[in-house]
Amino acid sequence: MKRGRISVVIAGVLMLWVFLGSSASAQFRYQNSLSLSTGAYAASGFGTNLYGGVRYGYFFYGGRYFFEASLGFSNLKSRVLENVSKTQLFETERLFAYEFVVAYDYNPSGAIPFLVFGVAGVNQGGTSVFAGVLGLGKHIPIPGFLGTNQLGIRYDIRDQIFSQTINNSDPFISHNIVFSIGVQFYF
Amino acid sequence: MAFSKKIYTTALLFVILAAASSVFSQGVDSVTDPPSQRGIPIDLNTGVSFEVSPHTGLMGSSGIFGLRLSMNYSSFNLELAGEQVLGKTANLYPISVNAVLNLATRGRLIPYGAVGVGLWLTVPTNTIGDETVSTIGLNFGGGARYYISRSFGFRVEGKQYITSVSSDRELKSELLFFQEVSVGVTFMFR
Repeated sequence: MKRGRISVVIAGVLMLWVFLGSSASAQFRYQNSLSLSTGAYAASGFGTNLYGGVRYGYFFYGGRYFFEASLGFSNLKSRVLENVSKTQLFETERLFAYEFVVAYDYNPSGAIPFLVFGVAGVNQGGTSVFAGVLGLGKHIPIPGFLGTNQLGIRYDIRDQIFSQTINNSDPFISHNIVFSIGVQFYF
Repeated sequence: MAFSKKIYTTALLFVILAAASSVFSQGVDSVTDPPSQRGIPIDLNTGVSFEVSPHTGLMGSSGIFGLRLSMNYSSFNLELAGEQVLGKTANLYPISVNAVLNLATRGRLIPYGAVGVGLWLTVPTNTIGDETVSTIGLNFGGGARYYISRSFGFRVEGKQYITSVSSDRELKSELLFFQEVSVGVTFMFR
């Protein structure tokens, strides 16, 4: 019963997405963007914590493709590790990640999300690893907002995939999931 | 119950965001690339131009991130490059100055050959007691830049790196060879 409800909801969301996407007709008019984002960073095996980041985007082919470089910060705080196992796996709880991704946006002005793929350097507690990045999201320009056509909002969800070794363990594949939403300035 | 509530909340959030993307974007005009950038190839003979090129790739089996700053003048290009190579036990930071020969000076596709020299910093990441090691390295290789506008393009490159590492214990030095393949983008300024 629960599965049936979930399937109906997911199907409904997808149909709405496609329908709303087909009803829009506008495109980006700017080539560059800067954005500030916040959200949640779920580090694999650790806790989910607040995320903050800054991004630069360069749009080409009418906004259907864009290149994006980003820098984001979070941490590795985990209640389970702190309260139950009482272990410290890294020298520090700091976490930051820098990403270079290329994105394909089938309909920049519609509701269908863009797809991104690229690479990231993920620094967890002072140790850097090379990661692949997959994700999807949306840029939403808001013309006229605050008297300008250069502002918008953006949101996306990304999976940073990398091989990790902790305390001489065998390497295992980790998925760090990042959801972020923020404001975007086009220029 | 709590699980289905979370699912419904997430679905509702996505529906609102999807709807917002459609509603708000209705007022934005349809514009493509500026007319000044349509169909005009790069011409490196018209003066000095500068490029910033972030890139990524592989050196051996290790991932790399890097940035190249370069100055073009016709067939000649002077380049300053810095990279971070993410290894399992150490990170490598090659910093080099490269001379690049552009094999074409006009058009969208510009192949090139490059040779350079630089400093390599090897920084251990999870080995206690080891210190940063610096060595001098040479590099040579080639690649190509493909411009889709007068200010933006893609870049691929392959390089061979050579450095010599000396061992104090055995009183001898050893030549090390590394291959690097990278892809990236390039931003041109005039």
